[in-house]
Amino acid sequence: MRIVIIGNGVAGMEAALAVRAGEPSWDITLISEESDHFFARTALMWVCCGQMSYRDIEPLERDAYTRFGLRRVRARAVGVDVQGHRVLLAGGLSPVAYDRLLIASGSTPRRGPWPGSDAYGVGHFVTLQDLAWYEHEIHGGASKGDGPPRANAHLGATTEGSPYRLRESGAGVHGRLASRPAVIGGGLIGIEAVEVAVAAGLRPSFFIREEWFWPIALEPREAQWISERMRDHGVDVHLDHEVEALEVDPIGAVSAVKTDRGRYETDCVVIAIGVVPNTGWLADSNIERDEHGGIVVDEALHTSAPDVLAAGDCASVRWFDGSRRPEQLWYTARDQGRVAGQGLLGTPASYARGTWYNSAKLMDIEYTTAGLVNRNLEGETHWFFEETGSVRSTTRIVCQDDRVVGFNMLGRRWDHTVLIEWIEQRRSLSWVLPRLHRAAFDTELVPPMQVPGG
Amino acid sequence: MDQQGQNGLLATYRESWRNRGTLGIALSMLLIAFYVVLYWEHKVEAQLGIAPFTALAESVGLRNRWYLYGLLYSVAMIGGAVYYLRRHGNSRYNRARITVNVGIQVALGFSLPFIMPLFGGQELYFSYFWPLKYDYLYPQTLESVPLYFAVYTVVGSLLAAPVLALLYGKRWYCSWVCGCGGLANTFGDPWRHLTSKSERSWRVEKLSIGIVLVVALGTTALIALDWKVGGEHPTLHRIVAGNDWRDWSIKSFYGFAVGAVLSGVVGTGLYPLFGPRLWCRNFCPMAAILGIVQKLGRYRITVKPGMCISCGNCSTYCEMGIDVRAYAQRDESFTRASCVGCGMCAHMCPRGVLKLESTSRRSLRVLDS
Repeated sequence: MRIVIIGNGVAGMEAALAVRAGEPSWDITLISEESDHFFARTALMWVCCGQMSYRDIEPLERDAYTRFGLRRVRARAVGVDVQGHRVLLAGGLSPVAYDRLLIASGSTPRRGPWPGSDAYGVGHFVTLQDLAWYEHEIHGGASKGDGPPRANAHLGATTEGSPYRLRESGAGVHGRLASRPAVIGGGLIGIEAVEVAVAAGLRPSFFIREEWFWPIALEPREAQWISERMRDHGVDVHLDHEVEALEVDPIGAVSAVKTDRGRYETDCVVIAIGVVPNTGWLADSNIERDEHGGIVVDEALHTSAPDVLAAGDCASVRWFDGSRRPEQLWYTARDQGRVAGQGLLGTPASYARGTWYNSAKLMDIEYTTAGLVNRNLEGETHWFFEETGSVRSTTRIVCQDDRVVGFNMLGRRWDHTVLIEWIEQRRSLSWVLPRLHRAAFDTELVPPMQVPGG
Repeated sequence: MDQQGQNGLLATYRESWRNRGTLGIALSMLLIAFYVVLYWEHKVEAQLGIAPFTALAESVGLRNRWYLYGLLYSVAMIGGAVYYLRRHGNSRYNRARITVNVGIQVALGFSLPFIMPLFGGQELYFSYFWPLKYDYLYPQTLESVPLYFAVYTVVGSLLAAPVLALLYGKRWYCSWVCGCGGLANTFGDPWRHLTSKSERSWRVEKLSIGIVLVVALGTTALIALDWKVGGEHPTLHRIVAGNDWRDWSIKSFYGFAVGAVLSGVVGTGLYPLFGPRLWCRNFCPMAAILGIVQKLGRYRITVKPGMCISCGNCSTYCEMGIDVRAYAQRDESFTRASCVGCGMCAHMCPRGVLKLESTSRRSLRVLDS
């Protein structure tokens, strides 16, 4: 049996390991344009600032591919011949035949819609090549002796416009490092790009279209705190700014961000306005995609094409609310990869996203969420508590019809599994409040939160 | 403000003295040279005619070079503590651990042995126990120290240390009390990311620390035997405890190999190249015993299921070379024998996935009622 997996990320790798665990002798091939090694995309920011090395963000030993007998092809897949059961590759490489195929090609950064978005000094912060670009902009390159092995090995087998091509930096064109970076887009990748610039001793400008930071997850009081922390660290936070254009200087490098509120000089722009499923290369492949570009899959992660599965950011799955969208999270990709691995083995398995949860770290503020938050439910009420004193935190509990349906926590650590259990048990607010400390996951010696009415 | 996690990103690998760059190598060479001269000053003196540390000690009014070493040790710990706390002192656990550790070392490790002789007493280190302080359980030592100290060291080494490790993990000693651990976590902290995380290094660790443990136990047993019957067996006495450097004995060899080479020259001298816990991880017999006890006790690192993003900050900043991420991404709470409970994995985790705990297991996850 020939198993082919497109994508060397967490979904693809989990699937490969699951197949290997089930079938020691099957032929498994991983196709990746981006990297020789599976790495944690979640950790790009720490490599950029120098907190971690490229090796540190690889979760497996480098000999894992040999040890588990996984063949690798470093090339760009340009299509799937569904009838012929073949994956087509760029660079004139011969197609790879499969018996069962998993597409786990992930996401690709959403391109800037503004004039000047292709100028030197403008980039994203999603791929390994984006990381290399941003490192060049603000540090002049990777840390001493660092960098991924065979960083350029895919350049013979890629296409124009691939998100994994290496970009010339504005710093390279100008002959000096970026000194006034700007970040566009008030989400998680945006704040990461901002933090990295702060760590490099710079004062980045942060352009956010909405009235407050990360409105999909936070409410104004919560976001206010984050903005305050960013400003404390020297970030110019520009809320409610609609970007209109990126100005370009005569040598073709970005020189200013123009918004509806003004013109701001810059020499490096990170566009962080979200990601889209990396499925453009499937345009002619006769595999059904939804209006967002996500590959439509059923509960078992099978696509519309026979023997073809999809998992991770590129797959459009059914959500708890009945809608169909890609889930662009690390752990959902991991879980989907495991289910897809069973599917490749021919074992029945289905993917079901349970109650929503997530976490993040915004500057130095920890964030945990569970359940239905910022969904504008009918008749929802909020219990909000702001803790001040030696520990600063906020707690927001969303209720509907006297039932707790969601939690949004900043500043402390919480065990989301306990919170989810309460949501699923349909507990009331008056039941939850006196027991809130049981969901605490604070570090030892941290004084426990005193809950009013708790 | 009390925070639980990292505050401000680190530029670790971008600093030459911390990324095995030229400066790091030079620092390591300097530290090794320092220890070689310190331990074998008599040979330096024979060659060059000067005993640099003795001369320096005397010029500042210290009795011998070991007092000078104690002073430098304390200064290095305090300086390292300031460096560490400026970065990670936003967490109460880190503040408490470093403050207690430095306090104990400066008070008991440096000041007390310095003060006691002034009042006619011996130099006694209350912060060290057998088998780390390997001679403290030798019957000859127990005979020669005051009774209260003999009781302290026997009860401390054989009863208190293991019982506390059962209750709280070996961290009570390795990260809160011990001088070697204290130096590693202050002066050595800038290099904690350099400890190897490879599976091979784990295999080496298990082998080497096991060998040192057996050698330490064997040496102590032989020395006790010599104390009991050495008088009637002069050959045994010479082999076990002959005190002349040139006339190698088991006792002097252990002191040389474990006390000087492994804990000093290798353990500290290689901080800037292989991380600050080389000694603790691979050679310390006390860490070996407490590690075995820890596996049987209550201490563990609890992993919050499903939340790990595999970033690897925990593994990178584990000074003991534990691949914490390997457990976290499989949602496995765990106890590793080598873990000294410094808490940095939990501190560095950007998703609050990890928690050090030594509560009784039953108290966890009581949800109903």
